[in-house]
Amino acid sequence: MRLLRRKGKAGTEPTRIFYASDIHGSEPTYRKFLNAARFYEVDALVFGGDLMGKLLIPVVRDAGGTWRASLQGRQHHLETPEQLREFTRNLDTLGFYWKEMDPEEYRSYEGDQERIDALFDELARDRLREWVALAEERLAGSHVKVYLCGGNDDTDAVLGALDEERFERVVSCEERIVPLDDEHVLVTVGYSTPTPWLTPRERSDEEIGKIIEGLMREVPDPSRAVLNFHCPPLDSGLDTCMKLDASVWPPAPVIENGQPVYYGAGSESVRRALHDYQPTVGLHGHIHESRGVARYGRTPAFNPGSEYGEGVLRGLIVAIRGGEVVGSQFTSG
Amino acid sequence: MAEAVAPQVFTRRASGLVRVMSPYSAFIYNVLTMGVIFPWTYIWAPTAFQGSNLTLGIIFAFVFELPIALAYAWLATALPRSGGDYVFQSRVFGGGFGFTVVFAFFVVWILQWVALSGWLLAVLGLAPTFIGLGVTTGIDALTSFGTWCASSGGIITISILNALLSLALLVSGFRNYVRLQYVMWYGILASFAVMLILFFTTNPSAAQGELDGFASAVDGVSNFFATAKAAAADAGVNFDPPFWFFGTLMVAPIAWTSLQWCTYSVEQGGEIKNAHVFRNQVFILAGSLVLTAGLLVLLALAMQKGIGSDGILVASSGYWYGVGEATIGGTFLMPNLIAIALAGSPILIAIIGFGYILNSFQIVCNCYIGTTRIMVAQSLDGLLPEWFSRIHPRWKTPVNAHLAYFLASIPVIVAYNTVDAWVRWTLGVTFANGAVMTLSALAAALLPYRAKAIYEASPGARYTLGGVPLVTVLGTIGFLTGGFMVGSFLFVEGLGLAYSIDALPYWIVVGTAVVGLLVYWTMRTIKAQQGVKVEYAFAEIPPE
Repeated sequence: MRLLRRKGKAGTEPTRIFYASDIHGSEPTYRKFLNAARFYEVDALVFGGDLMGKLLIPVVRDAGGTWRASLQGRQHHLETPEQLREFTRNLDTLGFYWKEMDPEEYRSYEGDQERIDALFDELARDRLREWVALAEERLAGSHVKVYLCGGNDDTDAVLGALDEERFERVVSCEERIVPLDDEHVLVTVGYSTPTPWLTPRERSDEEIGKIIEGLMREVPDPSRAVLNFHCPPLDSGLDTCMKLDASVWPPAPVIENGQPVYYGAGSESVRRALHDYQPTVGLHGHIHESRGVARYGRTPAFNPGSEYGEGVLRGLIVAIRGGEVVGSQFTSG
Repeated sequence: MAEAVAPQVFTRRASGLVRVMSPYSAFIYNVLTMGVIFPWTYIWAPTAFQGSNLTLGIIFAFVFELPIALAYAWLATALPRSGGDYVFQSRVFGGGFGFTVVFAFFVVWILQWVALSGWLLAVLGLAPTFIGLGVTTGIDALTSFGTWCASSGGIITISILNALLSLALLVSGFRNYVRLQYVMWYGILASFAVMLILFFTTNPSAAQGELDGFASAVDGVSNFFATAKAAAADAGVNFDPPFWFFGTLMVAPIAWTSLQWCTYSVEQGGEIKNAHVFRNQVFILAGSLVLTAGLLVLLALAMQKGIGSDGILVASSGYWYGVGEATIGGTFLMPNLIAIALAGSPILIAIIGFGYILNSFQIVCNCYIGTTRIMVAQSLDGLLPEWFSRIHPRWKTPVNAHLAYFLASIPVIVAYNTVDAWVRWTLGVTFANGAVMTLSALAAALLPYRAKAIYEASPGARYTLGGVPLVTVLGTIGFLTGGFMVGSFLFVEGLGLAYSIDALPYWIVVGTAVVGLLVYWTMRTIKAQQGVKVEYAFAEIPPE
């Protein structure tokens, strides 16, 4: 049985990819991502990194069967199981992890960042396992595969869940070259250049350059490669964000003459790869507010941006054939 | 028993997102966009609707706009993205409708405001300032320059330079504009304050004497006010009209041409810090409306005190009836020109003039800022070519969209100032712009039903009235009040389209909508040939 449909070659139907990134633990956004296969009638779902959520909300049981929790600067007192369910459903939408605990357990975590990080990893790994299982279930019987990888905000410990077993529809593509169709391959690098947030998977631009070079050496025809690089190219307009002062925590905007300073936070190595290899297309994320498209010779590079916190899935449909992008469409669903 | 705790959130090292323009800057932006010192109300309404009460009419406009502004607060917090009205309408009504309405009635028709802002700068900013300075200092060259500013050649040159300067400022970085905006804000407030003081500290008979003296120095005429009043009476102005309630109601659509712009900041919603916070949007949208309406009422009261009903009617006759005797230096008696005549001091004239010059420059800037954001959003949705949404790598701004809009504005500027019938052909501008905002109010009313998931995730979802989402109540009221005013532009002779005796202006409005529809259909067809559907840009995926 053929695992891949005959698509993407010149003279045939284009291969249609749906790309999204930076959903940061948001449950409805991930579910939308999986449903995008049927909704947008695409052949492959490519994820561009940053699976993990950023906050963990302790939901502390009070005596008397009620709960307390803090969200967005407000203390919530949940008096009924229905209120608890509604509250945790909202947390799932926002991409936050939560754990029910009694006051003693909560106090045991306070100030112990190592244990908090371990709890984050545990909850994130559980959620990722559930997501992989959900993908297998939803895509069963279809030809669509979902390509998952990490970004700079994900920890290696959590990403390990993608390689715990061999899956039918889920492809773990981090730092790998994997086939997309009969003609194109997907090359994935999830690292970013250093950020003021000191996230788990940052590398110097030189190191990213070496990883890209190593992978591209193995690609038989770079013009038929889809580059799934979490970090966008430097100064491309896909990487514009506010400059932050890393000497304070949390990092604060750099203000000059009363105004915030903007700069390109992308990678020169990624820019060079797009420019030198002239791949089919570059797919990028990382900078949520820099939705857009840039061009490097014949190669378009996209960043669909992210609005996971509102439960909105921002994405990109890209149709490729014969090493060329024949059509593209940003989505916001 | 376990002791109750107030648990805090656990965090880890992960990247964060920070936005830009402060809510206060967005608030200022809206106040300035309403052109607080350029309201047409004072020279349009008094003679178009003789017997109307200006102050009451402005209050009606405020009351009619308030539900619209509040409904926008729901939209702006649910969809805090650049492209505002286009994003709202396309997500609620669908891409074809949203694109056609906002492209045709905003992007195309706002070209008229680019031309108008050049005219404002030349005729109401530079001309009276230099004429006033020439008269008070006795330097003829200043008077001559002021007169040239109000000539056709002067207006076109100044308009193009105005647009070019705005283009250069905005492509060099949005933060440069935001920085300059504070200068504009304080300059305009100072100008407005000086005008108020001048009107409040005089009386009609003294003001008439000042106007006579000023007109004599500029145009060499004597008994200016008496002559202008007699000419106005001959033209049909009744100087003792009885109070007319319907006329007062019809002042509202005119004042609305200013007040409706209190929602314009939504076009750059993606750049406003904490744009998703409800109280911020209420402050930005409704707050700017309250302040501007208050200032307009104050100016109406000040003018009533300073130049009286006769003065207001004479000033209005120059505009509405084209009474040449009721103009000075070829310029309508807008509040600033009257204030300049009352000032008698080069410093005060410079302060007033500086405010007008800054506000007219701000208006051209906001034409560019709003429409380029809309074009970028439409381009990212695949409804305009990708070229429009490209961001300059160094300046981080949508240079192509700015350039396209500048080039498109040049023929409109030339036509506006050289083609006699142009203003008649384009009477639909007030209808078109108002229609966009009214339809956005309807989008707000339908948001909970047509974009359920977006609405439910928004902070406004918690407000209901008798079980009905409050946004639906406000949006429906806003749609009705906006519809009343938009309908007035269509059917009431003293307003907008109905002023014209032929059907051509109506067909021009229809024509722009057809152009919008054609662009949509063309892009949709091209995209389909590339294997993608533009409808995907607006469709919400069910999570289950």
